[in-house]
Amino acid sequence: MINWNRIYAMVLRDFINLRHNYDRLGDMFYWPTMDLVIWGLTGLYFVKQSQNEVLLSIMLTGLIFWIIVWRSQYEININLLQEIWDRNLVNLLASPLTLREWVVSFLIFGLSKMIVSLAFSGLIAFVLYRFSFFVYGFLLLPFVASLLLSGWVAGFIVAGLLIRFGSKIQTLAWTGVYLIVPFSAVFYSLSTLPSWAQAIASLTPPSYIFEGMREILFTGTLSYDKLLISFALNIIYLILSLWFFVFMFNQSRKLGLGRLI
Amino acid sequence: MQNTILEVKNLTKKFGNFTAVDNISFSLQEGEILGLLGPNGAGKTTTIQMLLEIMTPTSGDIFCFGKQFKSHREDILKNINFASTYISFPPFFSVHEILNVFATLYEVSKRKEKITKLLKEFEIDHLVNRSYVDLSAGEKTRLTLVKAFLNYPKVILLDEPTASLDPEIAISVRNFLKKQKIEYNVSILLTSHNMAEVEELCDRVLIIHHGKIIDEGTPEELARKTSDCELSLTVVDDKDRAAKLLEEKNIPFDIERFCFTIPIDERNIASFLQLLAREKVHYQEITIKKSDLEDYFLSVIGEKIA
Repeated sequence: MINWNRIYAMVLRDFINLRHNYDRLGDMFYWPTMDLVIWGLTGLYFVKQSQNEVLLSIMLTGLIFWIIVWRSQYEININLLQEIWDRNLVNLLASPLTLREWVVSFLIFGLSKMIVSLAFSGLIAFVLYRFSFFVYGFLLLPFVASLLLSGWVAGFIVAGLLIRFGSKIQTLAWTGVYLIVPFSAVFYSLSTLPSWAQAIASLTPPSYIFEGMREILFTGTLSYDKLLISFALNIIYLILSLWFFVFMFNQSRKLGLGRLI
Repeated sequence: MQNTILEVKNLTKKFGNFTAVDNISFSLQEGEILGLLGPNGAGKTTTIQMLLEIMTPTSGDIFCFGKQFKSHREDILKNINFASTYISFPPFFSVHEILNVFATLYEVSKRKEKITKLLKEFEIDHLVNRSYVDLSAGEKTRLTLVKAFLNYPKVILLDEPTASLDPEIAISVRNFLKKQKIEYNVSILLTSHNMAEVEELCDRVLIIHHGKIIDEGTPEELARKTSDCELSLTVVDDKDRAAKLLEEKNIPFDIERFCFTIPIDERNIASFLQLLAREKVHYQEITIKKSDLEDYFLSVIGEKIA
């Protein structure tokens, strides 16, 4: 059974932290803005050189939608690290809060921040480049949902490592998900990759989403197989990543969670 | 007859070949304050971590309110709380924000009233809007104690509750703990290095060393186990004769001006005073300091180390 009061308490804790912590507030807006300015302008330059308008849309689609994966992973990990940095972990884990409730609170808070970041990025892209991600119509929702699941998968894998090894591997919170970027076809077609990398890419759910998005931009249609495969892989990985997180949590508890504070 | 609130059976924690807690068993009764004493590294914190379910025991069982901890964690932890000097709170949160989050987490009814009441009890109600990072060490300790009492706990685990408090505040905290025990029958498991505090607060004490309980009893019972006393004699006129007599009889002593300090088994005091009378050694003042818990603790831990 899930207790929603305790989940509310944890979400409240994260929101208060957001209000007080300019780092957390800043990274919701700063990095998306910088990415969109730098890479958007780069895209504009390519468009001018190649006279191919769709290049800018490809670039902006990759930038904006990768934010979903990155932020959903990052929020899980940074909220866990925050408890370690604040030496507050034992206070929480020695309370009636269950691991399940803690995870749900991560997801709710992370989802809220991701929506704000996504909306803000969409707004910047529209203001600067007249690009609207509503070009994908209703498919926007399954695209976002699938990428969100991919971010959570990465988040739980990194969280499992963080809860076991503590802040000494905290850099994974910022860099972990980038391991899959080369295989996710964010900015380029899968066919660009060598065959061994394509084989790996076929196992990464975001590659199907980004390929599907480009398909819409180029042809105006989408093969729904890509969406289904992406969801199927994400669900399998999400179950495995949650199992991994719980396994690592229990391993860490054997050593004593008090050592992490 | 008192109810057993917490029962620990054959609890063991091993880290590889190292045994941090070695097959300990004890119980905590309703309304009892139980002290856990031991030198650094004795296994006290490991035991407390297992009692809070943040460390898995290698073997053994913990029962709380008659239920097995590992299968009723959530229910049990609703009625337990803890305070430790080793933990902290988010630095930029105000005192009220911290307590509001924890009161919500523990589903405390009438949160605002409860928080206000406890802040007043611990004399930090004027700090309600101050950030945690701006509190002094003593104020942080008191905030930790407020958090520990937020959920009307039936069992409280306190790790060094009065560390970093000035004497006046430490006394009021001890009085608060005694009041909680008397008025609400709260059971408290307490670790402290302040022996006077343990003697004052605890109904019973466990001495833990190298992960094992090596002795237990009331503070008075434990103190009585060592019969060493310290006899102080002020001898003005017969000082030299007294010193000579003690040397002849091979009785160890220290002397400072006219004051002799003699460690002596309390059973030998009468015969020693008879000896002084026989030898016509006159003393102006005599004080006998009986052994206390600290003396016993030092003697028993010293023996174990030797």
